[in-house]
Amino acid sequence: MNWKLPFDIPLVVPTMGLPGWFFDTLGIIVFVVHIAFIYTLIGASTASVLYNITGVFKKSKTDDLLAYKMTNPTTISENMGALWGVAPLLVISVLYTGFFYTAILKVSPHILHIIYGNIFAFLLSYAYKFSWHSLHNHKGFHIAIGLVAVLTFYTLPPVFMSMSNLYLQPETFATVQNIWDIMLTPLTSFRLLNFFLTAFSFTGIVMIYLGVKWVKAGGEDAEAGRLAIDQGKKWFMWASPVNIAVLPLVFFAFSPRISEAYIHTPFVFLPFAASAVLTILFFFLLKRFGNEEMNLGDATKAMVLVIVAVVLMATARHGIRVVSFEEPLKLQAEATEKYMTDVITEYKAYKEEMKNAPAVVLDPAVSLADSKGCLACHSVDTKLVGPSYKEVAAKGESADVLTASLKNGSTGKWGETPMPPQTLTDEEAKTLIEWVLKQK
Amino acid sequence: MFDFPIFEMPTIGLRMLMAINAIIHVFVSHGGAVGGSVVLALAAWWTNKKGDLAGYETVYRLLMVFFIISTSVGALTGIGMWIHANIISPNAIGGLIRVFFWKWFIEWIVFNFEVILLLFWFMTWKTKATTAEGRASSVRFGTYYAVSSWITMLIITAILGFMLTPNFDGQPWIDPEVYPGTVNYNNALFNPTWFPGLLMRTFSSIAFAAALAIMWTWLITAFSKNEEIRATKERLIKFFATIMMVTVPVAAAFGYYYLLQIPEAARAMIPTAMMTRAFADKMDLMYMIISGIGGAVVITTIIAYFSPKRMPYIAATLMVAAFMLFWGFEERTREFIRKPYLIYNYMYANGIRVTDVPYLNKVGILKHAIFVDEKDKVIKEDKSNLVEVGHTIARIECRACHTENGINGLKFLTKGWSQEAIRNRINNLPGGGTPYMAPFVGTEAEKDALAAYIASLNKRGEIK
Repeated sequence: MNWKLPFDIPLVVPTMGLPGWFFDTLGIIVFVVHIAFIYTLIGASTASVLYNITGVFKKSKTDDLLAYKMTNPTTISENMGALWGVAPLLVISVLYTGFFYTAILKVSPHILHIIYGNIFAFLLSYAYKFSWHSLHNHKGFHIAIGLVAVLTFYTLPPVFMSMSNLYLQPETFATVQNIWDIMLTPLTSFRLLNFFLTAFSFTGIVMIYLGVKWVKAGGEDAEAGRLAIDQGKKWFMWASPVNIAVLPLVFFAFSPRISEAYIHTPFVFLPFAASAVLTILFFFLLKRFGNEEMNLGDATKAMVLVIVAVVLMATARHGIRVVSFEEPLKLQAEATEKYMTDVITEYKAYKEEMKNAPAVVLDPAVSLADSKGCLACHSVDTKLVGPSYKEVAAKGESADVLTASLKNGSTGKWGETPMPPQTLTDEEAKTLIEWVLKQK
Repeated sequence: MFDFPIFEMPTIGLRMLMAINAIIHVFVSHGGAVGGSVVLALAAWWTNKKGDLAGYETVYRLLMVFFIISTSVGALTGIGMWIHANIISPNAIGGLIRVFFWKWFIEWIVFNFEVILLLFWFMTWKTKATTAEGRASSVRFGTYYAVSSWITMLIITAILGFMLTPNFDGQPWIDPEVYPGTVNYNNALFNPTWFPGLLMRTFSSIAFAAALAIMWTWLITAFSKNEEIRATKERLIKFFATIMMVTVPVAAAFGYYYLLQIPEAARAMIPTAMMTRAFADKMDLMYMIISGIGGAVVITTIIAYFSPKRMPYIAATLMVAAFMLFWGFEERTREFIRKPYLIYNYMYANGIRVTDVPYLNKVGILKHAIFVDEKDKVIKEDKSNLVEVGHTIARIECRACHTENGINGLKFLTKGWSQEAIRNRINNLPGGGTPYMAPFVGTEAEKDALAAYIASLNKRGEIK
């Protein structure tokens, strides 16, 4: 295969003697927490806007209350989601530096949407949340703010997914020129489908869980709680069957090299296992579908099951890394070692040469001219930006005229490029002009 | 050594792209998070202690502003620093993350505490505000938040200080003889600029946050329909001004101490860093600007302290603007005086490692530029593609600081120069006139190509 791979950063990987599986596990755990919050963010912000709209049309206070209550999980999960996104990136960027940074560069500047698009969406989501009561009589405007925030959140996963699909498949480095080459591929569409389906399945369970707590609290909240449980079940029942079918297929949408190797590893069973867990959860909820209320035990069980499914998916995804990076990491390490050997040999030889080189004794005037930056534009015998010192000396101007030109600058004497005024003492000017005049 | 794909930012340039993100981040992380947490926790404690419930309510409204800005703009531009650095200099950030991985991981854990405590403090404020015990416990969370956000600054400034002064006591960070084996990162962390830098940042952040709090208190109280909230203006502005009376002089003192710790080579770069090259000689103008900024802060602080009720809004914004100018200057200067290095004695500003230079001078910079098209890498025998090859070299070696014809554009910098003049200029790059430029790295033929490309920028469209 014709690989285009960057060298590794030639510094030791900071393992502190810990085994490789420690970093793999750490990477999976922090990623699962991150993605769980991101799923909740997508689902909760969508639910809030949806119920805000139905609240207006149905003139339902309960819908409106649920919409308002969903802004809290939105705030928490946007903050925690961004925060926990840092850790997996930190781990990946240390273990797979070259691949990760290459992918980010290839999808630039669009990757900056992750920063600036997020700031925009965060600010709008805060505006939506904190203007709830003051914009009560301007519902259309208020909903528009929420809607733009949600739609902006929806634009972020495609960018991020493109970067992650790129770095997972180093064989595409040679052909992918910009973000669209990877975003508009079946793999990215497939993974995005899986992502959004999981987001709604996951938030479905979160809503059931929150709903049970609100029902327990009683009062007005209980009504909103029942509505949340109902919505949670619907989302899960609708999104999961599609996801159960899509999930095992995602892993075969990678490049043939990766997909073929993946089949021969134990990782191949994980997507099926995740589908199985989701199926169990589906029947578990189906049995309780008619019950308006659920107990905390059931909600907790559902939560545990959906987290298990996400952990299985994340581990399956890690399998892609293991399979995909085996060969390029080896090639990269070999190339880096060879490069560094060449570099260090040459550097040592250079240092040796410098040590033995006779010290150059410069005319003090030359050192002065260099330190003042004169030699950047002038040389002794060739015209550069300005005239050569030989030409200057030959022109026959007096020392006073030259000193004035040096200190105040001059224009028009030697073409259109002006000589800027220089800062130096009278003594320094004298040394320089005397030296210039000697160059005839 | 450059083997990553090349990304350019036309017109504004990569330096400016980074600067925009960095300066926004500094405003919010220093003023909003580190300083803001301290100032608001103090204000919450003080109003609660005095039994000033209206004041306590105004502090909540202030906290809302700080919460919104810190968690959106602050946190995300923080991650942005990494992404921007990645785009501009993958080798530098990659190296730093390898060496400081665990420090950054610890910082991330502390950052978790910071965000969770802030979320908790803000989101439970209302329910806890009804009882005295509730308020006391709320203030405690504010205090923990302040402590954790200060610890994140402590860790990050150590890494920043390292980039400026990586080795001291004659101990190099990386010994080229044993490269790439050992990295002496404890020496790198506890370096001479860290401690004064941290304290300068701590106290000036608190002062900046107090100035911001004054500005927002003014707005919140002016637009409140509640009579009691409006009446809190005087007390709170006076309280924040008191904080400034203490922290501004302390910050200035540590700032001076910090300045003394900066290595001489870096200090010599300060006039250019602060005034740009065009005004580097006008140091008196720089002193005037500094006295102007400092004077504005001092005068408005005194007004706020002695006459909080009559303090005009414009004075409050002036104070904030002065701090923003100060931080903007400070960031630019700190980044600039490190030149020609990105990490002292290890990597040049354009991402080329010092140890790689002799080798690359022999084999050429383009040999390992893996993502560059072959046709733009090899100079043809008839030299017909000299300009294209030169362009590639400029994209590798110059793009970190220069654009083609935008900010700091090569085209304007070399207007009226002959190709030979340009070539000579490339020959003595760090040189006397521009000590902050990284040396040219590559073969003589590559130097010709680069000169041909830069000269071509002003030749295009010229009628011969």
